[in-house]
Amino acid sequence: MADAALNPQSEWVRAPERGNNFWLRVMIGITRTLGWRAGHVLLYPITAYFLAFSPRQRASARQYLDRALGRPARLADLWTLYFTFAATILDRVWLASGRTGDFSITVQGLDALRARVEAGQGCLLFGAHLGSFEALRAIADAGCPVEVSILMHEANATRVKAVFDTLGGAGRAAAIIPLGSPDSMLRVREVLERGGLVGLLADRAPAGQRLHLADFLGHPAPLPTGPHLLAAVLGVPVLLAFGIRTGTRRYEIIFREFAERVAPAGRAGREAAVAASVEAYARELEAMCRAHPTNWFNFYPFWQAP
Amino acid sequence: MSMMGTTVAAEPDLVLEADLARLIVAALSLEVAADDIAPEAPLFGAGLGLDSIDALELALAVSKAYGVQLRSDDERNHRIFASLRSLAAHIAGHRTR
Repeated sequence: MADAALNPQSEWVRAPERGNNFWLRVMIGITRTLGWRAGHVLLYPITAYFLAFSPRQRASARQYLDRALGRPARLADLWTLYFTFAATILDRVWLASGRTGDFSITVQGLDALRARVEAGQGCLLFGAHLGSFEALRAIADAGCPVEVSILMHEANATRVKAVFDTLGGAGRAAAIIPLGSPDSMLRVREVLERGGLVGLLADRAPAGQRLHLADFLGHPAPLPTGPHLLAAVLGVPVLLAFGIRTGTRRYEIIFREFAERVAPAGRAGREAAVAASVEAYARELEAMCRAHPTNWFNFYPFWQAP
Repeated sequence: MSMMGTTVAAEPDLVLEADLARLIVAALSLEVAADDIAPEAPLFGAGLGLDSIDALELALAVSKAYGVQLRSDDERNHRIFASLRSLAAHIAGHRTR
């Protein structure tokens, strides 16, 4: 399939993730010994450092901001984007361990999710590298009666699991389902069968995944079809879920209905239905990016087919 | 389950393997012929190149055709999914239809 060539499997994709985890460890160390205020003060030099010394990421960020804002991005926009990114990493230290007491978290669209949960209907939650997916854990901690799992790429899963182990204990670690094993999707199915929720980030394609070019902020971007195919095979409803950082220790969690069924059961017409679903996701993501332009954390050439 | 059912591993069931190969090709709409799937070749990654969503569809098809439920908590999954032969052997030992 020609689409297979469109894989963003370059240093670009992995580099931000690596830096991200290094800084997460630094943040955990500092905030544990010196507290939140010290961590927060450090965000300024950290933001300045990354803004100054990551010209390639900066070029990608600028291209994204130009398109999301609909005007040429200014230095202030880039600063806010980088600062927001650093701040979500700092906040993760608290959010990942469920210590949300000092945060102001509002939730939009919870009714749609609650109806499903109460009916015992398993759902997939599609997120993106937009804001903080960890903020969604606040829902689990606020007495969500069903299990919440997150499906993620194996290498990241190992690192994130280590962080969760440090912060929150074994119960949280168990909620991560690593991709890349033949039975990964069997685990997803079993959580959904028990009426649980499985979250995944649907905007980046891990190595080897199939992609579909969908219009995003006015230009075709390669997006993974895997999440949509998974929803089609399982025949479960999909909701969109984002944890948007709206200010200092302020988050807005947004749930949106996405699709009752991504594609009909059986393989006939599935490919077209999956492609249409990817395009619908791209439109929803685009609207979120226009509303919250500085929550975007894909610091690589998002539109480029490498 | 009888003792017979648990001790068949030595001889591969060629009829079941051919049957299962056709099921895999049909369930996953593969472009290879069922006869061309080498019984010992890996199904995932390098061999037939299946991914974990394929594994899910395959598990659904196997459950429908043979009544064998493949579960994620089975520690032998890597071995069961290793090849056509290993999957067929697992089905032979657990099938209900």
